[in-house]
Amino acid sequence: MAFRKWSLWDLTSTPFVGLGNFQTLIADPMFGKVMLNSVIWVVCSLVPQLLIGFLIALGLRKKFRFRGLYQAVVFYPWAVSGFLIGILFRWMFNSEFGVVNDLLMRIGIVSKPVPWLANPDLALVAVIVANIWYGVTFFSIMILAALQSVPDELYEAAALDGAGRWQTLTRVTIPTIRSTLVLTVLLRIIWIFNFPDIIYAMTGGGPGDQTQIATTWMIQYTQQGEYGLASALGFIIMGVLVVFTGMYLMLLNRERTS
Amino acid sequence: MRKKLISAVAAMSAFGLVLTGCAGGDEGNKGEGGDVTLQMVESLTNPARTDLLKGMLADFEKANPGIKVQLVSPPTEQADQKIQQMLQSGSGVDVLEVRDLTVGPFSNNKWLYDMAGDLKGWEGYDLLTDQTKKFTVDADGKAYFVPYGFYGLSLFYRTDLVKEAGFAGPPKSWDELISQAAKIQDPTKNRYGYAFRGGANSSGQLMSILEAYNADNLDVENAYKVTSGKTIFSTPESQVALDKYIELFKTGSPESSVAWGYAEMVQAFTNGSTAFLLQDPEVIAVVNDSTLTKDQWNVAPNPVGPTGKAAWPMATAGWGVAESSKHKEEAVKLVKWLSGDPSTKFAQDNSLVPILKSAGEDEFFKTGPWAGYVEMTSNPDTWISVIEPRSSAWWTEWMKRSETDLQQVLLGKMSTADLLKGWDEYWTQKWEG
Repeated sequence: MAFRKWSLWDLTSTPFVGLGNFQTLIADPMFGKVMLNSVIWVVCSLVPQLLIGFLIALGLRKKFRFRGLYQAVVFYPWAVSGFLIGILFRWMFNSEFGVVNDLLMRIGIVSKPVPWLANPDLALVAVIVANIWYGVTFFSIMILAALQSVPDELYEAAALDGAGRWQTLTRVTIPTIRSTLVLTVLLRIIWIFNFPDIIYAMTGGGPGDQTQIATTWMIQYTQQGEYGLASALGFIIMGVLVVFTGMYLMLLNRERTS
Repeated sequence: MRKKLISAVAAMSAFGLVLTGCAGGDEGNKGEGGDVTLQMVESLTNPARTDLLKGMLADFEKANPGIKVQLVSPPTEQADQKIQQMLQSGSGVDVLEVRDLTVGPFSNNKWLYDMAGDLKGWEGYDLLTDQTKKFTVDADGKAYFVPYGFYGLSLFYRTDLVKEAGFAGPPKSWDELISQAAKIQDPTKNRYGYAFRGGANSSGQLMSILEAYNADNLDVENAYKVTSGKTIFSTPESQVALDKYIELFKTGSPESSVAWGYAEMVQAFTNGSTAFLLQDPEVIAVVNDSTLTKDQWNVAPNPVGPTGKAAWPMATAGWGVAESSKHKEEAVKLVKWLSGDPSTKFAQDNSLVPILKSAGEDEFFKTGPWAGYVEMTSNPDTWISVIEPRSSAWWTEWMKRSETDLQQVLLGKMSTADLLKGWDEYWTQKWEG
């Protein structure tokens, strides 16, 4: 399909066009913007997800009252559909009636409503905030599981050697769970790159294509019945994902053999 | 371990197949006792409408012993794709909901049966409004669907806010709408004039003002053209209209409405914060269910342009028959039946502009919020009935492009003149093929 002119408008004629669809895509001024947005979307979602997820996992490692309940609450977002979360955040970020502006104005951070989803610079921030909230959970789950496998003797030995909290974290905890961290990050890169739900529900790629990423752009082509172009874009997305998947599998193998 | 995995995958796949309803179409469709069973698929599904349709189909079965109808109701978002798959596979669908947006591709791919021959001599045809006839038989004399009703914009307004602002009545023209919206707007009180549509599918409202300003020279068969044969975007009137429209956004609409789609617009009106909304009649039911009381709001006709006229483009959908149907005679019978008296109840319950001339005499359509629609249909010289090229192959592409460009103008990244120039070139090129 990616190498044919395949349009819903006329399925009686689907001639072979070679790399024509790819040329059309790459020649489109949108292409560069979409790829840049995709990178921003992945990096700016992933880093905070990792840091906050790590902190939550550290907090949940020690036993305390109601820890089970806490864990359930923390992990809850993971069980909700991304599309639904997008719709919820779309209303939360609504300028006039949304809870985000209401809170900011009550605290006194802003004096008038911020048009989150209408401002081209803020819209990407808004969708990334929603994505961070959604993805933190996954890191918490994975890192907590890894932390619980760190033997207590290591911490005891570190304490005997007079290591402080920071040293314990950087010299004991992180090196021990390094492989989990690396693999989780790689897995999340693939995941986030391939995850249009929140953007699709919150902004539809707008305003003025400011929040368009590769996968939402592909959805747009399928909605327009341009399946040939959508497939070609799918090919390009696959190419990117194959690279990361290859890295993931390589590392996985290395971890196994070591 | 591997065996377990394979069994798990197999079980999941089977479960998935069950979930996606991989029931093959019953080819023969011959039920008990030689009954014919028709498969009918709807597209703009909602639970209330599905119940209504089921009731109507039960009446049809009573009136036509020997024909059974099975209604398939896919969720709205995926319905057109589902219908497309069914049509492509050539089985499992006899009667289907055809929209002005899908009739192009569906007929082009030869999936729809041309009912023109069957509608000749059908006594119900003369009972349809002129508008309906225009859509039933297309320019090439083909009849791929009979509309069940129309969606058309009109002006929802807050009677109390208009009065408080010192105006005698709702705006009649775009100029009045702009000045009333600007006067009512007061962001410090969270009160806004006009529920502007800058987000998804924003071209409908924008075209409304462009067509009103070009009303004297519009090509009624294709409202994106003027009588000279050029695009509507090429005229000086359109430049004035677009600048006015941007003024309406700047002086009488919430800043965030750059990104507003259908849900936000309607919400802004029903939650009482916004005084004017240009929307389809199905919103009447939504406003009725809101906290606004009957004396707080009403519906006025579409605002007119400087020459006192406006266009009234209509979106529509209706019932058609699949080319692959093995029971075309019975399927056409059902389409004719649905397009008769039952269509008026269907239009009432779904807040649609009805298809029968007699419906205009119905008290229901003469009173309250519906009066504005009757005023428009009974004054065709003022509200000129026009057809927009919604069945064009590139319509969805156009919707996206127009949305993006309008947002660029609203955000100050593009001039109105550049937008019109771009759109003029776009449509000229598309029509030249």
